[in-house]
Amino acid sequence: MPALAIAQQKNKNYLSREDISQIAKIFDVSESYAYGVATFYTMYNIEKVGKYHIQIDTCVSAFLVGADAILARIEKKLGITAGQTTKDNLFTLSKIQDLASCGTLPVIQVNNKYYENMTIKKTEALIESLKAGKMPESDNSQNIVSECKILLKNRLNPKAKNIDEYKKSGGYQALNKALAMMPADIVGKVKEANVKGRGGAGFSAGIKWSFLPKDDPRPVYLIANADEGEPGTFKDRQIMEYDPHLLIEGIAISAYAITAKTAFIYIRGEFGWIADILEKAIKEAEKDGQLKHLTIIVHRGIGSYVCGDETAQIESIEGKRGNPRVKPPFPANLGLYGCPTIINNVETLSCVPFIVEKGAREFKKIGVSGSFGPKIYGVSGHVNKPGVFEYPLGTPLKTILKTAGGVKGKLKAVIVGGLSVPILKADEIENLNMDYDSCLQANTMLGSGGIMVINDTVSIPELALRTIEFYAHESCGQCVPCREGTQLVKSRLKGLIKGLGTKEDIDLIIKTCQTITGLTLCPLGDAFAIPVKSMVSKFRDEFESLVKY
Amino acid sequence: MITKMIIDDKEVPFDQGQTILEVARANGIYIPSLCYHRKTGQASKCRICVVEVEGMRGLQTACSIQARENMKVVTTNDEILTARRLIVNLLLASGNHDCLACEANGVCELQEVAYKLGIEKPAFIIADKEKPEYDDSSEMIVRDIKRCIQCGRCIEGCNKTVVNEVLDFGYRGHETKVICDDDKIMGESSCVQCGECAQLCPVGAITDKKSIGKGRPWDLKKVRTTCPYCGVGCQLYLHVDENTNNVVKVTGYEGSLANDGALCVKGRYGYDFINSKERLTTPLIKENGKFRQASWEEAINFVASKFNSIKKESGSDAIAGLASAKVSNEENFAFQKFMRKEVGTNNVDHCARL
Repeated sequence: MPALAIAQQKNKNYLSREDISQIAKIFDVSESYAYGVATFYTMYNIEKVGKYHIQIDTCVSAFLVGADAILARIEKKLGITAGQTTKDNLFTLSKIQDLASCGTLPVIQVNNKYYENMTIKKTEALIESLKAGKMPESDNSQNIVSECKILLKNRLNPKAKNIDEYKKSGGYQALNKALAMMPADIVGKVKEANVKGRGGAGFSAGIKWSFLPKDDPRPVYLIANADEGEPGTFKDRQIMEYDPHLLIEGIAISAYAITAKTAFIYIRGEFGWIADILEKAIKEAEKDGQLKHLTIIVHRGIGSYVCGDETAQIESIEGKRGNPRVKPPFPANLGLYGCPTIINNVETLSCVPFIVEKGAREFKKIGVSGSFGPKIYGVSGHVNKPGVFEYPLGTPLKTILKTAGGVKGKLKAVIVGGLSVPILKADEIENLNMDYDSCLQANTMLGSGGIMVINDTVSIPELALRTIEFYAHESCGQCVPCREGTQLVKSRLKGLIKGLGTKEDIDLIIKTCQTITGLTLCPLGDAFAIPVKSMVSKFRDEFESLVKY
Repeated sequence: MITKMIIDDKEVPFDQGQTILEVARANGIYIPSLCYHRKTGQASKCRICVVEVEGMRGLQTACSIQARENMKVVTTNDEILTARRLIVNLLLASGNHDCLACEANGVCELQEVAYKLGIEKPAFIIADKEKPEYDDSSEMIVRDIKRCIQCGRCIEGCNKTVVNEVLDFGYRGHETKVICDDDKIMGESSCVQCGECAQLCPVGAITDKKSIGKGRPWDLKKVRTTCPYCGVGCQLYLHVDENTNNVVKVTGYEGSLANDGALCVKGRYGYDFINSKERLTTPLIKENGKFRQASWEEAINFVASKFNSIKKESGSDAIAGLASAKVSNEENFAFQKFMRKEVGTNNVDHCARL
């Protein structure tokens, strides 16, 4: 995959068939295999693109804050529609699914650069500047509040990227302490701290580690899951971009604990500049003698949401299409290159230095019973000050929303854990605390902690359509219920919105989602079936009001 | 140790390592499957083989779960049937599955599952139907992409069984399709037309071009025989139209040691010689520059007398024998024995050396 990426880079951002065949020959794989990989990932351009490839995030959070208007303006200004290239080959315009910039929306990606906090006026200026051949500076400012000062403690220090600065505030002390401990003791500590996976599943990291087979001759791999793609989620990038050594230290300790000699950071390809920052920080850490026990490799994804799934991510690192594997076997037994593998989210791994340094007991003082430690919540949508906020688990949603400047307009609904969790109506969030158990009790999930706030200007059927469009776009296409089920639900939602739907269509959507839940090969089926079903059943009257026949 | 499990209240034996689906099949219990094939293994893509396993949350695919001692499995209940119906309906609605016009009618596994579930036509229509895609560019194989259910059997077969490495999945999501090389039409690809993909296809997405319209499966007599082309001894079925006494299709016999269903392009598609007008049906003897028909007795006597006279005039080594790869080892053994013992020469060779 990196070879295909390099070929594209060297050829005006275009991946030609000749290059794909050539690479297939070099790596001794079939042409169809190479072409299959090249056409799976969205960042490979198998069609020629203009000098400036403008991509606008139109996914759910962006839709909430008016990305469509910006898209319309660009279309008008360039005289092309999304998916087209201008005649002078200067611009290609595309719609893109979630760019993990939900706190700084609307966002436009030009080639490899993010332009965040866009307005119509700024967009006009951007296009003018590009026409004049200049990539302007971008304003990527972001609201940050860190109450715990653990995961985001260095977020506002622009120098923290530097290892010396990181060490000044106690950095790498936890690693030194860890290296003097027995690996099993570290696993024990992490288990005791009961740090639950921050990527979305909420599975205890320590327990996951203890699934590794004992006395196995195969090498163990650690993968830091930095494929942040869950719509509404933009937390891991705060750590990686501004405090990369925190993650590296977390990886270094965790790898030592599980006896991995090689670790990967699988970072989504759109975060190219953050991958550069990580690579630089790894070099610094190596030079500083922190990584004598470990090699860390930054592996860039090439555009696929499903590669956030553990087994799809493994396939992707192995250079294949990002198709999730059938489980069992689980990665702890049969993971990367057929070896025991542990995959943890960036935020999870970043909790590890604190646990080692201060102890599991200190960690458990933060948060509430069953949900310990700090959590980064990202708030996007209809709030006055969207941003990322580090609070203890169990913090009332209302407190977080208040920090985010309060709701803009009249609150209608909230999606509290990234797009894959059931939506909550305004009255259901009244006393909601943001921890794993409270969210379950409220019939939703904490997920990734990506909070999307929806006011009463939003049509829930439109929101449901955006939701299903995202998952349909990201479905790997392997299994029938997901590949075809997304199409069925999408077609029915489109029909309803066009005024061509019936009440039976509403029932069909609910029934289909219900049947698909638990039926697919990987969790992506549940990820769309559960939220869409909740949107339709909780706001059924809105859907019914669209029925004309 | 006796290993047994319970499927639908029936106690059945199993071998370690077998999946629920394999155990069910071995014991005559019906669990539908579309992507699983004995040769290509589990894929867990179609999800139609879901069953309920006691102690496991949610439905499980029978093709991927290994049987365990005393495991209790239910193959049919409302939840399972609802799931299966949804899957069949989704497949029927998303492609062009019109059985009347399809070559696979009668042997189609999707049709079979739909029939067993009592689905005559899809319960819903999915809008935005794709445009038809039909690839008949190659000599022997027709790809009707609208009928493809993306089970992946053809890809597994192409890459793992015959190792021609032509097919793979391209694109993703709903756009996913089976591609030849870098999405070439089959006729321009590196495909050698062995037809393994057509043999494995559970539906009518990959079919044998020469057999189209030549007879429905239930009208044809299947005759098992050995491929006449080389000495490997591939087992195959001739599909014979008894009305015209024509072979209209050849498929590999699955389960045979030599080929387990796989055939080469000649074995699968080179059957026109059987009723060819140019085919020799009697021995021919050339007289005055022209061939005339002869009986076997006359021909053999003629050859024997020639051998004898050459031996007498010029010695045994003036005669040489060349054997054929198309006959069996035993026949080749007999031939060299004949050359050495009866003719009296070591001048014997085999066309495979050429």
